[in-house]
Amino acid sequence: MRTVGVVFRKELLDTLRDRRTIVFMIVIPLLVFPILFQVMTTVQRSFTRRERTRTLRVAVVAPPATAAAIVDVLRDAEGIRPVTGVTADSARARVERDSLDAAIVVADDFDDALDALRAARVDVWYRSGDDDSILRTRLRRPLEAWEDALLERRFEQLGIPRSAVHALETRMHNLASAQERLGRTIGGFLPYLFIIFSFVGAMYPAIDLGAGEKERGTLETLLTAPVGRLEILLGKFGVVVLSSMVSAVVSILGLYVGFRRSADLPPEFEQLVLRILGPATILRVLSLLLPLSVFFAGLLLSVSITARSFKEAQSMISPLNIAVIVPAAIGLTPGIELTPLTALVPVLNVSLATREIVAGTAGTLELALVYASLGALAVGALWGSALWFRRESIIFRS
Amino acid sequence: MIEVHHLRKTFRLSRRQQREMGRAFTGDRIDAVAGVSFTCRPGRVFALLGPNGAGKTTTLRTIATMLRPSAGHVTVAGHDSVREAREVRRRLGFLTGSTRLYDRLTPAELVRYVADLHGIPRDEFERRRDVVFDRLGMAEFADRRIGRLSTGMKQKVSIARTIIHDPPVLVFDEATAGLDVVAARGIVEMIRQARERGRTVLFSTHRMGEVAQLADDLAIIHRGRLVFCDTFEAFRAASDAPSLEDAFIRAIERAEAEVAA
Repeated sequence: MRTVGVVFRKELLDTLRDRRTIVFMIVIPLLVFPILFQVMTTVQRSFTRRERTRTLRVAVVAPPATAAAIVDVLRDAEGIRPVTGVTADSARARVERDSLDAAIVVADDFDDALDALRAARVDVWYRSGDDDSILRTRLRRPLEAWEDALLERRFEQLGIPRSAVHALETRMHNLASAQERLGRTIGGFLPYLFIIFSFVGAMYPAIDLGAGEKERGTLETLLTAPVGRLEILLGKFGVVVLSSMVSAVVSILGLYVGFRRSADLPPEFEQLVLRILGPATILRVLSLLLPLSVFFAGLLLSVSITARSFKEAQSMISPLNIAVIVPAAIGLTPGIELTPLTALVPVLNVSLATREIVAGTAGTLELALVYASLGALAVGALWGSALWFRRESIIFRS
Repeated sequence: MIEVHHLRKTFRLSRRQQREMGRAFTGDRIDAVAGVSFTCRPGRVFALLGPNGAGKTTTLRTIATMLRPSAGHVTVAGHDSVREAREVRRRLGFLTGSTRLYDRLTPAELVRYVADLHGIPRDEFERRRDVVFDRLGMAEFADRRIGRLSTGMKQKVSIARTIIHDPPVLVFDEATAGLDVVAARGIVEMIRQARERGRTVLFSTHRMGEVAQLADDLAIIHRGRLVFCDTFEAFRAASDAPSLEDAFIRAIERAEAEVAA
């Protein structure tokens, strides 16, 4: 064990002096979320402010009396300038080429429909890539106010109370706790991040300590020292596992920092999130991270040792990225639950188990299966890479 | 002392390697070394010569326990290279022309690392480090990153790494390949000093000048088999060639002719 420590300390020192590894292990995971949140918030705020305050030019195409009513309603709304005296065709054409923001076109039988107590048709033409756009919302509000006024008048004519329109008063009660509801959302997203970052964090040290060492021609120093191959491997392994875990933890820290700094969220929501992500939950999630990191380290070191060069190792490892991202992403899919079967699927089980842990709904059997499966994989990966590292044809592959 | 007895090392060839061997080659294995025996004694320098691909590096790597013999056996300082590999490595200093250094460490850190791997106690290490650094003139760059050192400085670091544990047996595999005259002289000087201190030295090289300067004993390996093994004087006496280089080439040509016959 002493020599494992010697190899570990040297490899750690060597790794910490490699800028590329530090960037992938610490800098990117730490900064990506704060920067992403900041940029997204700034862009979104600026866009929203502009969309909410700019004056909309809205054409009104209707018979004179109706047009006047619509114009009144639009003038009551802030920031809308009604445009009258245009035909339906020209209004539509102008909306299409952006010289108008929208056009409200009343059907020919509008008054007849109202008189017959039918729904009178009003077409609103606008251009937006988003169905929930601010433009649409700003147009709907005055129209809803107008409809409300028309309905009020209609109920008065008929002499029935407004409440008569509702036959049922349906009240939906979600008995899931706030932790359960929010936890499933956060818990679905969280593992996706730390699975990816634990893989990326392990990737560069593994390549550097395996293929990199072969390519640089420094491996003979180790192979001719009075140290067993397993001890060498364990020393390297320790550094890769540590890098993987640090990267994952730093990514969560980065997410937390980004969330605290930039998220435009109400304080109650923030407090709830922080309560859900308490120390006990974080510790349980990290307990999943350790075997996952060991599994990644074994896998990546085996591939890295096989490769002849840094570049070859990178090209061999790239497809593995997909093999990690896909099950991690499947874990985000609604309806996929942690069952005794999914608990055995690597990566997916971590994704689903984290969701359940954060939501506070994790079953003991399923969690035990996840730990057993991850433990077996971790041991298998370590054993496999140890076998690989003993093979002359792998070590001296050229 | 290094004793090599009937050493054979067989490699399984990949399909690509089989194709590269040409159509005349059949089979999926090749003997890189086939029945090689020789002895290197303390206080003497043994030169292992041979053309590229002759089996020199395979022989030296097997002695250094990096490869396991397919047949035969090797002992270094009385320890078997397979059963007591760790003991062999404890007594061995191995330097090749292709072995590089950790660029992100300083010479002091690297030498300390190697000493730690050998389990040398701190005070003993510090004493040896001071002696070695002083002898090689390394003090001025001992704390600079190796990646920023000149080739000559790196060569000194390689030597320091090889001898920091004061091994009784030293193996050099084309250690001067690619070095300029000044850097190569450092290796030659180190070999000479090792002999004076009663160490066993085995080295391979393509530089006949080094052989003439250093070798007490000499073996020529060709296609995995020894074609000559005796003292350096016996080799010179057995050949009427005008130079050492010519003598070496004639020995190889004779071996080729025997294979063809």
